[in-house]
Amino acid sequence: MMRKFMTAALATAMILPAGLAVAGGPEDIAKARIGYYRLLGLEMDGLAAMAKGEIDYDAEAAKGHAANLSVLTQYSPKGLFAPGTSNADLPGQTRALPVIWENMAAMGEKGAAFRSAVAELAAVAGDGREALGPAVGKLGGTCKACHDDFRAKDY
Amino acid sequence: MASDQTTGAGASAPTPSAEQIWDPVVRIFHWALVIAFVVTFGLGKFGPDQMTLHFYGGYTIAALVVLRVIWGFVGPRNARFTNFVKGPGAVLAYARTLPKRAPSHSRGHNPVGALFVVGILIVLGLQVMTGLLADPEDYINVGPLAKYVSIETARKALALHEPLGMIALIGVVAHIAAIGFYKRWKGENLVTPMITGRKSD
Repeated sequence: MMRKFMTAALATAMILPAGLAVAGGPEDIAKARIGYYRLLGLEMDGLAAMAKGEIDYDAEAAKGHAANLSVLTQYSPKGLFAPGTSNADLPGQTRALPVIWENMAAMGEKGAAFRSAVAELAAVAGDGREALGPAVGKLGGTCKACHDDFRAKDY
Repeated sequence: MASDQTTGAGASAPTPSAEQIWDPVVRIFHWALVIAFVVTFGLGKFGPDQMTLHFYGGYTIAALVVLRVIWGFVGPRNARFTNFVKGPGAVLAYARTLPKRAPSHSRGHNPVGALFVVGILIVLGLQVMTGLLADPEDYINVGPLAKYVSIETARKALALHEPLGMIALIGVVAHIAAIGFYKRWKGENLVTPMITGRKSD
């Protein structure tokens, strides 16, 4: 028991400062947020290339991208939108507009539209390029809808 | 009759028989651009999130602008840039006549109107370019040339695209206001000639 406690305490003592240094400040949150959207973008890029015919349709690859997107929709982005991390707080480091924090409910609706579009896409991703196209279009539309209202065009 | 299509620089009396001042290419260009601009601007601002039709509108505007620029070098007299683009002296001289409550009797673009013609062609040309290069990072509305430039450039293009659209809109509103001013203040109808090609006052 004591041993377990000591191990836990030691582990905490070692990890906690490192954790704070890596993910403590607003700048790190902004970076993590950009990273999250880059993950989404990477999967979306592969799907869009297939939908546009830039690369050959591959059912397994499409399903893989859709599965990754589905996993990412399970992630709660709440921590990524901590207060004090808008482009007004961190000029040049993020394009997240302050209006996000003024109207988090509206931002949440955009997120819900995105998640339902991912679910729809995941259901048809393996059914061929014809089925994939409209689903990718709809999903990309949810990206745009949110970018229009909540993201600055440039840094 | 053909010799009548000169600049009308003098204060010649209104000719009773209407003469052709706008050739068919200029007229078709003008009204096609009106439709393409309204549709493309509207789709950009209020259209669906999948912007395929906005893109087609943009390509149409690109083709119209290219056509008009070519026509500005090879078209008939009133269509040619060399015949209506004037220096600041002529622009100011014409601007001073604007408050007069009398028709201008212009045959073709007047020196102030020429500024709008050249200005709107430049703004629309830039608008087409920024649209082609813009990357909104939604994977479906990416400009077809964005992949040939850096993401930084594609973002700059994206950031310029909306303000340029507003500048174009302001230009259009000013253009329409000027036509209203000519009609109400100067008693000169500029709309009918752009439809029929003929102007009698």
